[in-house]
Amino acid sequence: MSSMLKYILKRILQSIPVLFGVLTLVFILTKFFPYNPAIAYLPQSFSEEDLRQMERFLGLDQPLVIQYLDYLTDLFTGDWGKSLQILEGADVWPLVMQKFPRTIEITILSMIIASIVGIKFGVISSKHRNKTKDTVVRGFALLGVSIPVFWLGMLLQYFFSYLLMKAGLPYLPYQGFATSWYPKLEPITGFRLIDSLISGKFAYFTDYLLHLILPVLALSFITLASITRQTRSSMLEVLQQDYVRTARAKGCKEKDVIHTHALKNALIPTVTIIGLNIGSLLTGAVLTETTFNLDGMGQLMITAINRYDYYVLNACVFLVALVFVSANLIMDILYAYLDPRIKY
Amino acid sequence: MVEQKLLKKESETEYERSSREKRNFLSKIFNWIITHIKFLLIPGYISDDLMHRQTEYEKTKSQRKFITRFKSVLTIVGLILMFIIISFAIFAPWLSPYSRFWLTFPQYGGWQPPSPEHLLGTAQDGFDILGRMIWGARTSLTVALPALFLAVAGGCVIGIVGAYYGGIIDTILMRIVDIMLSFPSIVLILVFIAIWGREMRYFILAYGILGMAGYARIIRGSVLQAKNLPYVDAARVSGASNFRIMFKHILPNVIQPVIVTFTFDIGGIILSFAGLSFLGFAQSGIIEWGYDLDKARGSFRTAPWAMIFPGLMIMITVLAFMLVGDGLRDALDPRLKNL
Repeated sequence: MSSMLKYILKRILQSIPVLFGVLTLVFILTKFFPYNPAIAYLPQSFSEEDLRQMERFLGLDQPLVIQYLDYLTDLFTGDWGKSLQILEGADVWPLVMQKFPRTIEITILSMIIASIVGIKFGVISSKHRNKTKDTVVRGFALLGVSIPVFWLGMLLQYFFSYLLMKAGLPYLPYQGFATSWYPKLEPITGFRLIDSLISGKFAYFTDYLLHLILPVLALSFITLASITRQTRSSMLEVLQQDYVRTARAKGCKEKDVIHTHALKNALIPTVTIIGLNIGSLLTGAVLTETTFNLDGMGQLMITAINRYDYYVLNACVFLVALVFVSANLIMDILYAYLDPRIKY
Repeated sequence: MVEQKLLKKESETEYERSSREKRNFLSKIFNWIITHIKFLLIPGYISDDLMHRQTEYEKTKSQRKFITRFKSVLTIVGLILMFIIISFAIFAPWLSPYSRFWLTFPQYGGWQPPSPEHLLGTAQDGFDILGRMIWGARTSLTVALPALFLAVAGGCVIGIVGAYYGGIIDTILMRIVDIMLSFPSIVLILVFIAIWGREMRYFILAYGILGMAGYARIIRGSVLQAKNLPYVDAARVSGASNFRIMFKHILPNVIQPVIVTFTFDIGGIILSFAGLSFLGFAQSGIIEWGYDLDKARGSFRTAPWAMIFPGLMIMITVLAFMLVGDGLRDALDPRLKNL
C-alpha cells in the first residue's frame, strides 16, 4: 500500500508543472487581449494621465515577470480581482463560486450515468456479438458520437417538454435550474441537490432533479457512446483469452464469468476513455448550459470573453484547468488501482 | 567461381524480367492471356480439383487486400454520405434553390412551414432552409480542411523533430504539447478568438494550432519506434542528411495512424465549429448550421423545422466522416477491428 501512496504522491507532483504551464499560457494569452483592463475602472471620459495612473495602480506598468508573479500570488491567495464588466466592482471569487458548482453538478451526474449505462451497454453488446441487440447498441453508439449535444438538447426540449405540454400531459421543465417563482434556497455548499438535502427541503430536491433530467440526459449521451464502444471492444478481446475459457471450464456461471472475471480486466481501457472524455464533457457542459439556459460557468465564461472581462475569464480558465487536471489525476490513480500490473 | 557467375547472371535476368514487367503492364496482361487462353477457350480444361484450389487461394489472397477490408456496408454508407456532403460543398451554387445573396439578405416571411417555394420551410429573416443547409457544407469544410492540413503539417514536423533529435528539444516540445492537451480545447479556442477576432480565418488558425498537439503526440510515438529500425541506419550510412531521413524515410512509414485520425478529426472540427457558432462566436451573417440552430433557438416551438434540419445535417456530416474513419482504421490496422 505504501507503494501505492508513493505513486499517488508522484502523480500529484507530476501534475503541478502542467497546472503551472496552463496558468502561464493563460497569462500570456490574456496579455494579448485587445482591451486594456485599466479603462474599465475609469469614468466615461478620462485623460491620458488618469489612464497611466490607473495602470500604475493595477500594476500594469510593471515588467511582465513581476506581473506574472503578482498574478500567481493573487491566484493562490484568493485575491482574484474584481469583475470589470459583468457585475461591475463585484469580487470575482464569490461570483465564480456561485456558478462553478452548477456546472460541476451536471458534469458529474452525467459522467456517472454515462459510465454506468455505457459499461452495461458494452457488456450486453459484447455478450450478444453480431446479434440484433449488438447491432442496436452499436448503431446507438454511432449516433451518439456524431450527434451535436446542443441539437440533442433542443430535440429533447421539443419532444419531452413542449409537445407533452401541448398534449396536456405532465411535462418536464425545459429550461433553468429551478421553478422561477420558488423562493431561493440559501446556498450552503453551492451544490443545489446537496443543499436541498441538507436543509431537508425535499420539494426543492425534486424540483432541481426534474430540471436536471433533460440537460443530464443530453450531456451523458455523447460520453455514453464512446464508453460503450470502448467497453464492447475490450470485452470482446478479454472474452477470447485463456483465463476466461478456464473459468468457464471449471464451471463458473456465465454471469460470474462476465462480471467477475472478464469485466474487471476489460474496464481498464474504459477508465482511460472516461478520463479522456472529461474534456469533451466540460465542452458539452458549456453547450448544454446555453441550450437549457442554465446559468453556470460556461455562460459566465462566454460572457467574460464577449465583454473582455479579464479577471473573470482568468478565474474561469483556472478552475476549468484545475478540474481537468485533478480529474485526470483521479483517473490515473483509479487506473493503478484496477490494474495491479502497473508500475508504481 | 562458376557458381558466382551463374548467380550473377541469374540475378541479372531476374532483375531485368521484373523491371520489364513493371515497365509494361500491358504486355503482362497480354502474356497472361496467351498462357491462359486454353483455360478460357476450352471448357472443362482445368480440373475441378485445381479449380477448387485456385478459388481457395484467391479467397485468402483477396482477404489480405486493403480494399476488401475497407468495404463493409457501413463504410460504403459513410463514403456515399461523404460524397454527397462534398458535392454540396463544391456545387453549392448549382444545387441550392436560392443564390447566396437571397440566403444572407434579410427578407420578410421568416419561420414559415415547408411549402413548394421553400421545400423545408424558412428560417430567420425568410432564409430558405434547404439552401442554407447546402451552403453550410461549404462553410464547414472550408474551416475543417485547411485547419487540419495545418495541424497535420505542424504536428508532423513537431513530432518528428522532437522524437528524432530527442534530448532537450523533445522535452520542451512535448511539455508544450502536454499543456495544450491538458485542457479542453474549446476554452483555448475561445481565448484565441477573443484575441484575434471572429473571422473564419482565425478559426482555421486556432483549430490548426491546437490540432498540432494531438498529431505531434501520435507521430512522436511511432517515430520513436521507427528511428531504431535498420532502414534508418541504411539511409544514414548511404549519406542521407538528417532532414532527408526524417521527411523522406521515416515520415512515409509513420503517416498511417495520422490518416485515420485525420478522417475522425474532420467530423470533430465540424462538430466543434458548429458548437462555437451556436454559442454565438461565428462571424455574423455566416451560412453555418450551428449559427442557424442558434437563431432557431428562440422560436423552435413554433417552427421546429428550422431547428431539426440544420442539426440533422451536422449529424449526417459527422456520422459520414466517423463511418469512413472506422472503415479506414479497420482496413489499416485490423487489430482494432472490434472498436
